[in-house]
Amino acid sequence: MEELILELKKEIIEVLNLEEMTPADIDENAPLFGEGLGLDSIDALELIVLMEKNYGIKLANANEGKEIFQSIKCMADYIAAHRTK
Amino acid sequence: MVEIVVTGMGIVSALGVGTDATLRGLQSGKTSVGRIKYLQTRHVDLPVGEVPCSDSELRRLIEVSDDVKLTRTGLLGRVALKEAIVSSGIENSRPERVAFVSGTTVGGMEKSEQYYRDFLNNNNHNEYIALHDCGACTETIAGQYRGNFAMMTTISTACSSAANAVILGARMIRTGECDAAVVGGTECLSKFHLNGFNTLMILDNEVCRPFDKSRKGLNLGEGAAYLVLETLESANRRGVKPLCRLSGYGNACDAFHQTASSPNGDGAFLAMNAALQDAGLRPSDIDYVNAHGTGTPNNDESESHAMMRIFGDSVPPMSSTKAYTGHTTSAAGAIESVISVLALRNNFIPGNLNFEQKIEGVSFAPQKENLADVQLHHVLTNSFGFGGNDSSCIFSRLEGNGWQVKNDVGGSGIYIQSIKQISMQKPLCEDWFAHPIYSTTPYNESLDPDFKSYIPPMTARRMGRLLKRAIVTSEEAVKDLGGESLDGIITGTGLGCIENTEKFLNAMIDNDEECLQPTFFMQSTHNTVSSQIALHFHCHGYNITYSHRGTSFDSSMYDAYLQMKSGALHHILVGGHDEMTPDYFKLLGKVGYWKHGNCGADVLKKHDTQGSLSGSCSLSMLLSDKRTPETLCRISGMKMLYAPSDEQLSVCLKSMLENGHIPLSDIDAIVMNYSGDKDNDDVSHHVYERLFAPIPVMWYKHLFGESFCSSAFGVYVGAVALSRGMVPTNLLYEGGSPIDHLRNIIVFNHFHNQDYSLVLLSC
Repeated sequence: MEELILELKKEIIEVLNLEEMTPADIDENAPLFGEGLGLDSIDALELIVLMEKNYGIKLANANEGKEIFQSIKCMADYIAAHRTK
Repeated sequence: MVEIVVTGMGIVSALGVGTDATLRGLQSGKTSVGRIKYLQTRHVDLPVGEVPCSDSELRRLIEVSDDVKLTRTGLLGRVALKEAIVSSGIENSRPERVAFVSGTTVGGMEKSEQYYRDFLNNNNHNEYIALHDCGACTETIAGQYRGNFAMMTTISTACSSAANAVILGARMIRTGECDAAVVGGTECLSKFHLNGFNTLMILDNEVCRPFDKSRKGLNLGEGAAYLVLETLESANRRGVKPLCRLSGYGNACDAFHQTASSPNGDGAFLAMNAALQDAGLRPSDIDYVNAHGTGTPNNDESESHAMMRIFGDSVPPMSSTKAYTGHTTSAAGAIESVISVLALRNNFIPGNLNFEQKIEGVSFAPQKENLADVQLHHVLTNSFGFGGNDSSCIFSRLEGNGWQVKNDVGGSGIYIQSIKQISMQKPLCEDWFAHPIYSTTPYNESLDPDFKSYIPPMTARRMGRLLKRAIVTSEEAVKDLGGESLDGIITGTGLGCIENTEKFLNAMIDNDEECLQPTFFMQSTHNTVSSQIALHFHCHGYNITYSHRGTSFDSSMYDAYLQMKSGALHHILVGGHDEMTPDYFKLLGKVGYWKHGNCGADVLKKHDTQGSLSGSCSLSMLLSDKRTPETLCRISGMKMLYAPSDEQLSVCLKSMLENGHIPLSDIDAIVMNYSGDKDNDDVSHHVYERLFAPIPVMWYKHLFGESFCSSAFGVYVGAVALSRGMVPTNLLYEGGSPIDHLRNIIVFNHFHNQDYSLVLLSC
């Protein structure tokens, strides 16, 4: 799980172009949206694409993302349970 | 007092070809949204409102043979334009000066996405390269009717494009710039925007359900529509019976988010309110609202709240017709204007299909069933686009009941307060004036400043360089506003953020329409630039984007000029923003845009071969109605023309000078658009010899290069020269001693001998 969390942090930094951040700057338990990392609805869509592209997980509805993207930890748990690649 | 009437219209959509088919389709109460038949895509499960004709069938309708190269957007536009022209009788008795204003965002993308690899790798489909941009689309639509038009431009504000075309046409008539305007928009389905909307997850995989609690998203549609607007006086003179009046319009910017609307519908509220005020109507005078109502959870809720704010407890009958036609994006404003006129004339309200249950927190329900035999006097139609670009128009029955029409004349002087640029010259300063950087290579990158000191990293991370340049030049230009607030943002961009467009296009082809990134799509839309500037300044004022080839900037400046001339706006930020990428450079090179090898100033002056040197343009200009110590110069006149004869151009110049009270003998320099391209310079030289010789000539493309917005630099060098009271030798085409006594300058531009502009600047 630690490995997946680190991998996810790196992928998120890349795909969301968080240039000035390193994986160590992101707390895997902090909220991704609003107060924590400060991501928004477009980032949520980018994360949905990331899950499909890298882990073969397809969400039908953007609302499903709300639960999954609470934190990096949450996202990693979901990916570990549902990944197809 | 100027009264604007509608004297003709034409339409094509999923409902069929022509106004009769449209009315019958609406009255049938059945959706025309269905399975994809013509568009080649893997997303066949997504329902769309496709026009029920193949390209060949469309060609037959307008009697255009297969060897005339046209995109589907162009074909649809021509079908609608033909009906509009014929029904208005313009061909038999033409109003004196007719403008053509068309909206599109897809432009030639439907062909570019098919042939993109060919464009880059072989010469099989080069003929479609020059048809890619929005302005090219407008030019091809004008087709056999081009001789009717005295001026032409293209608006690209995504889903509100056509509504903004109606607004510009009306403004041109009110300010006396033309007697009639053919206005509207066109858009065909493309794989590009179908996939783009899909990445935003706002498409419904069933037929859309606008304003219903269970709504899931929109269905894309395609089509085109045009309306002929003219003064009542012109219609009477031609002996044409008008269909109805255009009694008011309004545009505002939500300035909330790039793709989402604010929960309260601020922009929508402001637009509807402005239209009502413009028409001199109370909310209770409106008998039917044709809503934007796309069927996305966000739009319909936001729009509902805006309507509750406008109409209170008595929201008039309202419906969205998107479930009939699909969302026809850039054409929607015109298609729904035509539907509004049909409703008005037939005392008919089209029902809102697929509605079952009200949205939570919304007090009203749409008109579910078709309503016949209702007396309609005033119909309001909404069109909202990406970036919170919100527009409303009101059409009214001919027999007026007491509303007042504002006459847009008057207003004070128009001054250029500040201009800031990022180009191949040193950025954000006028070092080029004394110490220019000369390039001798055809491909030139801009010298970018440090963006980080202007844009916080969380905002900058999604922006390509064009957006960053636009924000930085705007920020710097607006510094001179001195505490006043900006009330308009008008942007010219021939291509928008082409770097992002290429990224999305490449990914779409490489990944076979899967796993595409929404950010690239979002940023590819032309009006992203203008809406990002609005977001940056929290500016809810007038917001619009022109994408009309080499007069994209000119069109923006012209709109700003008209707004300020009429006293409607006081501080406007006008921009010209285009970037060049290695791939797009290659494509335009194939159709003769660039020189090979050395293109230093001496080579350009020879102008004996095709092509110029390329540059990128980001320029922001602050216009104000007050002169201050910072003022660079005054704008004493501006004109735009389409393919004028020598005689027409001469008359136009004369009238501009007369209105500005400046004789030609007081003009000290002409800024010419000499680029080194033989065809371009031959036309310019002919005009110079005929109209301006022997006034000294300034030029600028040797310093700033050629791009769709490069004419912005023409105004720039003229304004800076006037503010400093001199022209240095490096800006003089014939060299010689500097000019040191400057009073007035004319900036001349033309693109491909079709679109022309003249700007009169005074110290």
